[in-house]
Amino acid sequence: MIYPKKINARKTNIILNLFAVVSILVAILLIIINKLTTPNIHWAALSNAGIVYLWITVIYSINKNINIAAHVMIQTFAISLLNLYIDYKLGMDGWSLSISIPIIIIIANVTMLFLTIVSSRRYIRYAIFQLIILGFSTLPAIFIYENMVHNRVLSYVATGIVAINFIITICLSASDVKDEIIRKFHL
Amino acid sequence: MDKKKELEWRKLDNSAKIFPISAGKKYSAVFRLSAILKENINRKKLDIAVNKALKKYESFKVRMKYGFFWYYFEHNTKKPIIRREKEYPCKYINPKTNNNYLFKVTYFKNKINIDINHSLADGNSASIFFREIVYSYLELAHEENFKDDERKVRKVEEVTTEDSYISNYDKKAKSNASAKKAYKLKGKKLKLGAISVTHEIIDFEKLREKCKEKDVTVTQYLSAVLLYSIYTENCGATMKEEKNILRKPLKLCIPVDLRKYYSSKTMSNFFSYITLETYMENVKSFDDILDIVKKDFKQKLTLEELNKTMSGNVKIGINPVIRVIPLFLKKILVRLSYIEIRKYTTLTYSNIGRIGIIGKYQQYLDYFVMLISPDPMEKIKCSSCTLGNKLVFTFTSILADNKIEKAFCKFLTSQGINVEIESNGVLE
Repeated sequence: MIYPKKINARKTNIILNLFAVVSILVAILLIIINKLTTPNIHWAALSNAGIVYLWITVIYSINKNINIAAHVMIQTFAISLLNLYIDYKLGMDGWSLSISIPIIIIIANVTMLFLTIVSSRRYIRYAIFQLIILGFSTLPAIFIYENMVHNRVLSYVATGIVAINFIITICLSASDVKDEIIRKFHL
Repeated sequence: MDKKKELEWRKLDNSAKIFPISAGKKYSAVFRLSAILKENINRKKLDIAVNKALKKYESFKVRMKYGFFWYYFEHNTKKPIIRREKEYPCKYINPKTNNNYLFKVTYFKNKINIDINHSLADGNSASIFFREIVYSYLELAHEENFKDDERKVRKVEEVTTEDSYISNYDKKAKSNASAKKAYKLKGKKLKLGAISVTHEIIDFEKLREKCKEKDVTVTQYLSAVLLYSIYTENCGATMKEEKNILRKPLKLCIPVDLRKYYSSKTMSNFFSYITLETYMENVKSFDDILDIVKKDFKQKLTLEELNKTMSGNVKIGINPVIRVIPLFLKKILVRLSYIEIRKYTTLTYSNIGRIGIIGKYQQYLDYFVMLISPDPMEKIKCSSCTLGNKLVFTFTSILADNKIEKAFCKFLTSQGINVEIESNGVLE
């Protein structure tokens, strides 16, 4: 073998189809949760738009050979700050904390989970960004703890997904994460 | 590093001008040379070898800058970064990832790769530079075997970066471009930017015997096998496809090193091409295709014909109207016209021939490979090179099936020529 192992075309197709099905199921599940919990606020539409946005970002990053994790991290920060600023300017109703930021965190974590599973061989490239995103993703839990949000459904969902992401990451890539921490913070 | 050196710059040669303007993520204009050694690669030694080679061939120690009318090269003061191979081969070289260098040296197990942006060099100059890297690496890895004698390298004053197109083109030459659009390969494409690589390692002696028997050159024979494989795999696939392949000619573009025809020692690009044109209506057997290819070669591979093609391209590059168009506008115009131009080729096959390696170094080397980047307009590209008794014919493809690669191998095997297959596993 004179080339590094690549996922073959058939497997790529299976993975893409699998994630397409998972995306559709998640979208349907979010609509059901939305209808059962807070039918007056259509946050599921925003979440599903986020899923579409996630697909565009991942495909764009892969085709353009960009580090997807870095891309996801920057976008997570930028969009969260933008939402917070708009909410603040419109009178700080708190929608950015109870709806937008949890949705952004869900999308970022699902993307990172996807990357961890699909490209565990190259995970070292993503490790540091994954750690930062996980750190940032503790915000919904802080919002709940500090009583900063009235509608807590999405914050709970986000915190649950972050916990799953964290556990899977540790199981699959603990040694990579450790290596990356040693490399970045050596004295 | 003196200031004068830092300020050195040079124009791109006539062929090179087009590559950065037309290149992008989908059409990378990158080709690769790889040397497969009989031992694993040491990264540190490879790093030293690359820097030693750069000192001898400074024309590669450049970065590309954006001018108002054209791109230009500027001396690069930084060192290139050597990495382990991770990506697909021949991908667009983002200058930011390699200290602005227009080439990328990577390694994997016992293999050294160099991916080169075509604006920097053609296959011939790239192989000279790459051989220098391989020689330097082997000298570092086996110091005890090479300490006594010093290898003679080309004298620096003999190597130039002159634009040999300008000094050799004929102002009065008439265009010989064909007006007929080519048959295009169709099929489902690979997803997520994947590139499939198939190396067919051919027994060179057996192949040469076969070529002697048929009274053709190796390039002519392999071109004919390639055209025959495309024909057999697409003719009869569907009614529509059969109609298509019989209606439009199969056009095979073959780059030609012009240094063999003109006295040039430039390390910049200096190549032209011939386009073989095969109408499949009257083809009944492989021998029919071989006859057509042989005649086409005889007719087109002449100094006069090559000069016509080269001069036609030079005249476009030096046209005063084109020269004064600002670069950002040139990019739009060239990209649009490039899509149109490339409708006249089915695929490209480049044979850089024998890689001349000094005897003492050959014991450490297994074989060399060359790869060219495929793109949406030419979904498969082929290349070959030879070391010892191994001719490696390489298919790089963005199509999700490898029927042409299989047909090519099957045909050679049926002719009693031994073929071994090596691939990057995308279509396994």
